Amino acid sequence: MFSETLRQSLDLSIFWEYRQTLLVGLLQNVYIFFASAALAMALAVVVGLARLSKRFWVRGLSTFYVELFRNTPEFVLLIWVYYVLPILLSRLLATQFNLSPFLAAVLGLGVAYSGFMSETVRAGIQAIPKGHREAGTALGMRDGAILRRIVLPQALRRMLPEMLSQLVSLFKATSIVSLIAVPDIMYQVSMVNVEQMRPLPLYTGAALLFCLVIISATQMIQILSERWRRRGWA
Amino acid sequence: MNNAVAEQKPILECRDLRKAFGAFEVLRSISFEMQAGVVLSVIGASGSGKSTLLRCLNYLEQPSSGVVFLDGEPIGLRRQADGGLKPDSPANIARMRAQIGMVFQQFNLWPHMSALENVIEAPRQVKGLKRAEAIEIGRHYLGKVNLLDKADAYPARLSGGQQQRVAIARALAMQPKVMLFDEATSALDPELTGEVLDVMRALAEEGTTMVVVTHEMRFARDVSDRVMFLHQGVIEEDGAPAQVFGNPASERCRAFLSSVAH
Ligand SMILES: Nc1ncnc2c1ncn2[C@@H]1O[C@H](COP(=O)(O)OP(=O)(O)O)[C@@H](O)[C@H]1O
Ligand SMILES: [Mg+2]
Repeated sequence: MFSETLRQSLDLSIFWEYRQTLLVGLLQNVYIFFASAALAMALAVVVGLARLSKRFWVRGLSTFYVELFRNTPEFVLLIWVYYVLPILLSRLLATQFNLSPFLAAVLGLGVAYSGFMSETVRAGIQAIPKGHREAGTALGMRDGAILRRIVLPQALRRMLPEMLSQLVSLFKATSIVSLIAVPDIMYQVSMVNVEQMRPLPLYTGAALLFCLVIISATQMIQILSERWRRRGWA
Repeated sequence: MNNAVAEQKPILECRDLRKAFGAFEVLRSISFEMQAGVVLSVIGASGSGKSTLLRCLNYLEQPSSGVVFLDGEPIGLRRQADGGLKPDSPANIARMRAQIGMVFQQFNLWPHMSALENVIEAPRQVKGLKRAEAIEIGRHYLGKVNLLDKADAYPARLSGGQQQRVAIARALAMQPKVMLFDEATSALDPELTGEVLDVMRALAEEGTTMVVVTHEMRFARDVSDRVMFLHQGVIEEDGAPAQVFGNPASERCRAFLSSVAH
């Protein structure tokens, strides 16, 4: 009797039935992930560099940015960007201003994670010996070229493991975007659940799907970076 | 030195160069001129200001006062119409630095680039050479330091002596007017210093203009045309090797030489 209930509720075939809806949902998570990861990393490089600036006020401003976003829960930030930011912008620009849930999700998550990632960028850049930069300077290279050709390529590779774990967190965090009505996998699963009342297989399936995506992605990246290491530099 | 040479325009000139870090005066009124083709060795105790002097020569350190002229052009400063000098633009400072090669104690090769990539980077980025052209020059200078067979090796795969020779090729590939060496062999195991000193000796014989900060007294005595002894940021002794090593005027120089003998 009990085992029969368990078998029924664990029946993952329901997941298979809804595969199309679920994959469309998951695709939303993947889109949001890539867009917010790109935004977060671009901001992280800028803010990470600003934290190392010679100018006092640039350092101060970027430190404020990092502390603000590192210490605000992603969920709160997401809600704020979706509900409060449009109101503020509408007042400021004196026109009606709307953010789509998708855009709000990308913006909220991107900014939230740029705080963490900029610290990784800063540490990565600081780990490059000063002599590497001086060698470039002595050869007549300009600061921009030294950053682009000597510092960042080394720093980015050094940051890879740390960055990877933050990207994993970011992908996991995309599961909260249903709260601002992005039709992601969690949103789709709850919709199906309203009709079918099968929380156990549905939510278990979603959990397994997240797990599967993350594990295969990290494995792939590890294989890639192993190939880099074999090219000769540690 | 005969008169014909003495009347030439100096390739490098320091005029009343001073450098202080905070209240600490590291260089105190350094003035000298140097002709093209000369090998000048700078010796002195640790902390006497040798590295700071070299770093002022290519403006890695900004002098507190005084001017360095390369081939008659002031480095880091620009002549005004009224004859005065004002701070130069970063672009011009970089252009001047590109004409001065520098070899560091710690090699400072870029570990994410192969030996050849290290050598062609500045010709490509600074001189804007085409890749094929830069590679040709790069291979020429790697050949000069006997490392053509290691062109595709990454620094981590090279010995210290090989890394330093790549670093020398990297500086030479910019075809600089002057080469600066800051204790190029000090970070090397004793059995690896020879290969680097051999390369430096060959450059000297070809007539390369060199300023060599070194603890290798044999090299200073046998290879250089001129030796300068630095003490607490002041040139205490400056002359031909035979004179500086054989009969120094300065008591401090005499004491230093006997302290480093063997
Ligand atoms: N960036 C710096 N800031 C403060 N002091 C420095 C700096 N660079 C060098 N010095 C000091 O200047 C003195 C001379 O240093 P250096 O030129 O490296 O001497 P050397 O190369 O002859 O050993 C030393 O006492 C050193 O501590
Ligand atoms: Mg030194």
